Amino acid sequence: MAEKIAFREGCFTEGADGPILLGNKCGKCGQVFFPKVNFCFDCLNEEMEEVKLSRQGSLCSYSTCYMPSIHFEPPYAIGYVDMPEGIRVFGPLKIVENKPFKVGMMMKVVIEKLWQEGDNDVIGYKFEPQ
Amino acid sequence: MREVAVIGVGQSTFGKFPQKTVVEMGCEAVIAALQDAALRAKDIQVAYASRMYDCWVTGQSILSELGVSTIEMVNVENACCGGTTAVRGVWKEIADGHYDIGIAIGVESMTTSPIARKLIPPPKEDFEGQLGATMPGMFAILARRQIEKFGATVEDFASISVKNHHNGCLNPFAQYKKEFTVEDVLKSRMVCDPITLFQTCPNTDGAAAVILCSMDVARKHTTKPVKIIGSALLSGEYKYRQEEITVSLLARKTAKMAYEMAGVGPEDLDLVELHDAFANEEILRYEDLGLCKTGEGLRMVRDKATWVGGKLPVNPSGGLLALGHPLSASGVRNIGEIVWHLRDQAGARQTPNAKIGLAHMLGGVVGSLEAGACGIHILAR
Repeated sequence: MAEKIAFREGCFTEGADGPILLGNKCGKCGQVFFPKVNFCFDCLNEEMEEVKLSRQGSLCSYSTCYMPSIHFEPPYAIGYVDMPEGIRVFGPLKIVENKPFKVGMMMKVVIEKLWQEGDNDVIGYKFEPQ
Repeated sequence: MREVAVIGVGQSTFGKFPQKTVVEMGCEAVIAALQDAALRAKDIQVAYASRMYDCWVTGQSILSELGVSTIEMVNVENACCGGTTAVRGVWKEIADGHYDIGIAIGVESMTTSPIARKLIPPPKEDFEGQLGATMPGMFAILARRQIEKFGATVEDFASISVKNHHNGCLNPFAQYKKEFTVEDVLKSRMVCDPITLFQTCPNTDGAAAVILCSMDVARKHTTKPVKIIGSALLSGEYKYRQEEITVSLLARKTAKMAYEMAGVGPEDLDLVELHDAFANEEILRYEDLGLCKTGEGLRMVRDKATWVGGKLPVNPSGGLLALGHPLSASGVRNIGEIVWHLRDQAGARQTPNAKIGLAHMLGGVVGSLEAGACGIHILAR
């Protein structure tokens, strides 16, 4: 029976309105990090607070790849999304037929199966054109 | 800190040679450098060697074939920046007065490596790597931004490849000695959109070596020694600190350190060799290295300022694109190329009256960082 395992723990969650990415924020200087860090890389403060990132952001840039990476067979897309929290998040992008990628377009967070490991579905986040 | 000169330069012909071992190619480069320096292998007092894959105890594996034993040897890895790291290591040894003559060797057999014909991967558990990031993918993301935000065209990128492949035709060591047109480049297989195959560097096997020495030793060999006047090596800056992904804080910091140490500015350079693993990247480095203002890189491309014969030749060797990119060798090789121009020995690709040159290298993919490392050397005669 296939199990669903997250590709990384503590990285995302299902909210009432949909999936949410979880980062953390420095209690002292306010720098936000995604993925979470153990201590702030700017001020070295160890008191970090979990932060729920916005559910959408603006596409900073993207590429559709035609050669395999560790887990993905081509074609697949990757990119950076600028989040309202002032950080840029890297992630796989969901290719949607009538919505070609464009720098500046709004992208929303979705959770889906990323790859297979043995019998298990490894799930994670992607960004999908709004 | 003492002044350090380069008195020997050598490289093997670059290409696909799966039958050649790392030791064979390394020896080719070392023998050429020794002949160039008119030194014997036994004169070498310290050796730094770099490679990513084959083989371990690299310096020893190569130099034991040439009669060298019981000297200090250090083997280093810094991805594509390994060769630069090796040269800097030897530079430090001599500058700090530990030794008077040393050799830096860089070698790579890409065709027999685990990543032959594959994309350079990030470390195994790397967050972004797990989610689809590869080196070409990350550079393709930069290229897309250069296009949609800053007005670059795929023809601009292709023209860099055309330039460097033209230069390859002038370089007897080059893997590719074939002229390409913009159309040839754009019609080649898509790797990561918009980067096509001929906008990426090939899989290359090869080795390079440079011999450094104190000024006392240099003066016994030549009346016109080439000196290393600037050297800087930094690990990558965190990506989250970049305001704009196409502006490399790492490259700019490294360049600033090198220029300050050398006491020169980009306006003083006669030629540049830089990391052109991807054609679009070269344009960004024009700006990062201060060869032009940020935003003016495209003008430099369209004016053909960086062609051989132009105002400031960049990658006259053919670069990683056409000469080829044996990962750990390139950082040694491109320093050697600068030396050749400064000595008026670069043949058909010679920069006339070259007095000051800069060699830049970049290496490694680590998720949270811009890149693994950036190394820059400035040389002068």
